Amino acid sequence: MERTLAIHTQKLMKSYGSVRALRGLDLEVRRGEIFGYLGPNGSGKTTTIRCLLDLIRPNGGTVRVLGIDPQADPVAVRARAGYLPGELHFDENMSVESALRYLNSLRANKHAGGHVADWDYVRHLCEHIDLSLKLAIKNLSKGNKQKVGVVQALMHRPELLLLDEPTFGLDPLVQQEVLRLVKEARQEGATVFFSSHILSEVQEIADRVGIIRQGVVVEVAETASLINRALHRARIRFRQPADCNALANVPGVKVLSQDDGQAITLQIEGEMDRLIKTLAAFEVIEFETERPSLEEIFLAYYEADRNHVQ
Amino acid sequence: MFTIFRNAFSHYRGQILGWGLSLGALCLYMARFYNTIAAQKESYMKMVDAFPKELMAFFSTSDASEMFTPSGFLNIEFFSYMPIIIGLFAILAGSGMLAGDEESGTMDLILAHPVSRTVLFVGRALAFLVATIGILAINWVGFLIGLPGSGLGLNALEIGQPFISLFATLMLFGTMALVLSMLLPSRRMAAMTSGILMIASFFITTLARLDENLETLAKISPMNYYQGGMAIDGLKWGWVIGLLGISALFVLIAWWRFERRDIRVGGEGGWRIPMILRLRQRQEAAGNDG
Repeated sequence: MERTLAIHTQKLMKSYGSVRALRGLDLEVRRGEIFGYLGPNGSGKTTTIRCLLDLIRPNGGTVRVLGIDPQADPVAVRARAGYLPGELHFDENMSVESALRYLNSLRANKHAGGHVADWDYVRHLCEHIDLSLKLAIKNLSKGNKQKVGVVQALMHRPELLLLDEPTFGLDPLVQQEVLRLVKEARQEGATVFFSSHILSEVQEIADRVGIIRQGVVVEVAETASLINRALHRARIRFRQPADCNALANVPGVKVLSQDDGQAITLQIEGEMDRLIKTLAAFEVIEFETERPSLEEIFLAYYEADRNHVQ
Repeated sequence: MFTIFRNAFSHYRGQILGWGLSLGALCLYMARFYNTIAAQKESYMKMVDAFPKELMAFFSTSDASEMFTPSGFLNIEFFSYMPIIIGLFAILAGSGMLAGDEESGTMDLILAHPVSRTVLFVGRALAFLVATIGILAINWVGFLIGLPGSGLGLNALEIGQPFISLFATLMLFGTMALVLSMLLPSRRMAAMTSGILMIASFFITTLARLDENLETLAKISPMNYYQGGMAIDGLKWGWVIGLLGISALFVLIAWWRFERRDIRVGGEGGWRIPMILRLRQRQEAAGNDG
């Protein structure tokens, strides 16, 4: 199974003092896929990625990245991975070019199977995201620094891309360009594991999505199926005021708003069959359904959690 | 490793030139200033005799006539306080060698590349070592330029010996700052603690010359094993090796700690007492199980 998985964690645990950041995290990311890793701030996304690169040491569980234990051979993992940290900082005294050349020279570790970037490809990446190599890092805006981070992560064409909030701070046009480069990397065979709380971009490019909540992966699914199978929203208009209690009592249905009994907005979890059968008793003028955004699904997980806590 | 070394060393270039050239100019001046002192020995002798012995103790001597020997003169006028002056560089460089990158947030990016922690550690430590040697070498060259017109009558080897003693002392405080930066939550705290220990060591060693009661304490003070200018008359290699040996031990502890601990994302860390935390976690786990 390790051959088909780019990332495999089992019961991964990590604590910072009394704070338990990962509480037995099980995760499988297949080779060649784009995997969106969703969760709010503090849910354990960055901790997971830093464990994968052996920047921090887990308190328990196992990790395999490209079949390698990062604690046993971190250099081999890093030689084959590209990483964009969530908190990105460069040596401020360097120019973009000298920073990239320095980082590139760190990859010249042939013993670990590392390979340096082709400089023409670096220029190609910079052109795509409108980044000048001549600029001094200290004069760059946050967004432009993020562009440098994206280039350094991609420039050596890694087998595995670990991107922590890759489009953070970028304007919408550059965001699109970065997502395009990520897709391009996948087309060339790379596995992409990226964390985000910008759900629209995950929805746009991820093949599968994992949702992490309080250090545990609570859901992993194909992005499309997660959207399809979960919440739907329906707006219904009746010819005459209707008693909506019958609808509210349908399992999985929640009344979001009601207007004079003639218009109602419902949230439906799961299949719609029972709702439609119940609606047959009413005279319906309009029936509109809306597929939920990933954001709504994501919030639903957290809503459920809050209710559970209460 | 060479890439790491070269990059780290490039950060020291300004400091090597700054510390090296400014103190090198002072070395040149001191070599020539000896002629002035020697020419006015009697009047200087009267002045120095008037100094309280407590003040003379801070110049690592109790005998005013030492001022007019090459070793005594260089000790009083230059080498006695150099561990404190260049010690500032050593402590700041040692404490920031790795913790500085963690606190600025650049460490994550470096260690995301195929570079082991050991290679990073060794590359940085070598850069610090070479930078310290660089500063001292420029100072030494300052003396060499000044010696031909000076009445000191020393050769290159003789004037080099106090620098070996100084180097060993700087290594001790620099590596002490390094190991503390791996053990304490922040670079700032490591630098401050090392600075306090360095100043305390200087005062204990100095005051032990006046107060016999401090002699026992002075034996564990690193400055006690710094010869300063007196090394011109003969270097105590045992002291040098002892100081370098303890430095090597500090380096090993720092490396061991760096290999095993989590890399901070940025900013300063917090205090953790692992045993107590582990105990608390066990108690929590037992509570949850119940």
